[in-house]
Amino acid sequence: MDLVNIFIRSAFVDNMIFAFFFGMCSYLAVSKTVKTAVGLGFAVIFVLTVTIPINYLIENYVLKEGALTWMGEEYASVNLNYLTYIMFIAVIASTVQLVEMIVEKISPALYGALGIFLPLIAVNCAILGGALFMQEKQFATIGQATVYGLGSGVGWFIAVVLIAAIRERIRYANIPGPLRGVGMAFLITGLMGLAFLGFMGFEI
Amino acid sequence: MKFLRKIFDNAHNKLNANEKTKKLFPLVDAFDTLMFTPNHVTNKGSHVRDAIDLKRTMMLVIIALVPCLLFGIYNTGYQYYRILPGLEPTFWEIVIKGAWVVLPLVIVSYSSGLFVEFIFAIRNGHSVQEGFLVSGMLIPLIMPADVPLWMVAIATIFAVVIGKEVFGGTGMNILNVALTARAFLFFAHPTKMSGNEVWVTGFSDIKGQEYASLGSNLDGAVDASSGATALGDLASTLSVSTNDPIALGVTESFASDGAFSLMNAFLGFVPGSVGETSALMCLIGAALLLWTGIASWRIIFSFFVGGFVMASILNAVGGSVYFELPALHQLMLGGFMFGMVFMATDPVTASHTNTGKFIYGFLGGFLGILIRMVNPAYPEGVMLAILIANVFAPLIDHMVIQSNIKRRLKRLKTA
Repeated sequence: MDLVNIFIRSAFVDNMIFAFFFGMCSYLAVSKTVKTAVGLGFAVIFVLTVTIPINYLIENYVLKEGALTWMGEEYASVNLNYLTYIMFIAVIASTVQLVEMIVEKISPALYGALGIFLPLIAVNCAILGGALFMQEKQFATIGQATVYGLGSGVGWFIAVVLIAAIRERIRYANIPGPLRGVGMAFLITGLMGLAFLGFMGFEI
Repeated sequence: MKFLRKIFDNAHNKLNANEKTKKLFPLVDAFDTLMFTPNHVTNKGSHVRDAIDLKRTMMLVIIALVPCLLFGIYNTGYQYYRILPGLEPTFWEIVIKGAWVVLPLVIVSYSSGLFVEFIFAIRNGHSVQEGFLVSGMLIPLIMPADVPLWMVAIATIFAVVIGKEVFGGTGMNILNVALTARAFLFFAHPTKMSGNEVWVTGFSDIKGQEYASLGSNLDGAVDASSGATALGDLASTLSVSTNDPIALGVTESFASDGAFSLMNAFLGFVPGSVGETSALMCLIGAALLLWTGIASWRIIFSFFVGGFVMASILNAVGGSVYFELPALHQLMLGGFMFGMVFMATDPVTASHTNTGKFIYGFLGGFLGILIRMVNPAYPEGVMLAILIANVFAPLIDHMVIQSNIKRRLKRLKTA
């Protein structure tokens, strides 16, 4: 039950896009067609689900104050917290490299369509944001952290696929000139966020 | 009728004679096409024009809304006199009180919305789009009776501009305009849109006077809970056990002779938003919409099934008065029926494919009951759930079309 709640919270209530507006750059850039959005969405789910448990281990066994106690009593006072960003980014970057190689091997067409945004997942704020939120939330077990990562990824996936479908529908709408493209995407995101507020405070 | 036609022709000629006033053409044109079906004929090709154009369609929806509006007026007056002890109002006193509260809402909603529409029409140089005719009637019907008029105006303008005009106008929006207005107010001014004191007109005034006159002895005062909606009452039982006094009181009011009995909820003599309380009036509207073929029976049917399934699941879970309320009774409360008939069936924001309509309706009803019952902060979950279903509609359509393409490709390959 606890895990289900964490999943629902991270996917719908604290949605990366609608609640925090994280990962907007790739969200705006690849959401022109559903197909590319699905591809990048799965990539983000994968990266989040892999990096957050790894970062959880690093956080709890290397970085946190007293985390190094397992090496011996004399390390109990060591606090490596200042290395957080560098360590997290390193994990994320290497995972993204891995994803990039997999996508290139499995689906060269998708690789071409995603272009620069695939390597840019490394600096996608949703990923680092997820890791930092994980640190802040102080999960008790690695299972909870994994579910949190999966939920956040699914939330991002849902958001990007939904807006891609909406943008496909309004492709022929007579939108006032200055708003075409990114302006409209921002407005739609805001309206979707309004609808998603319905999930706020949701708990099973 | 000839007399009217002459006035319009005259106005058109006068406007067209002057370069400056030509811009105002949409203003006259809007009223013209509202009164008379435009006599456009196709010059080339073999197109058949139906006599039912968009404006006539909209008028039919408004006619379907009239029962809800009339009952809303009566119920607003009825609720007002219900909490005033010792008065025996006549039928007309009730109606006049109700009309005094409801009609300003309608007028403000129409005038502010049409004002924006006219500005956009003149700016873009096309005729006024007719979509607002229905939204302008829906907005007052989903507001609490005591909402300040300026809030209605602001919400309407926000919904028309951000919810519709930036997308290019009628037929292009992704969220239902009336629901956008309501959601906007709900999150911007929650104290005026939820709680126990906004649903009955004049409630906070009456309560204030009562308290002042009674001094410290509050025995005869208006019961604070008499202004609550059925859903508000139910939500208050979520955090207590089933044999708590609060829960027992609520159980009593939902019994067959209580204030929120199945019959009362069906007929609509309960506090709530102006036009949404009566399931019976919604069903009359639904009959007209289905008979004329404007609303999709697929959406209405699957929306009802979705709500019923979710309510039954939570029935089975049990554990509080709310969860154990019979599913059918649950669906008669709040805005469920109104949303099902008039909001979810909006042809623009719903799914466009037939299979998609089933999925879309089911999702809306399912989420509506889920949000309403699991999330005590939002007893009016149905309205938000329809917005969420609106957001999902384009994706559902996309999936349905893609699966159709895949199936046909397969058939082609095997043949």
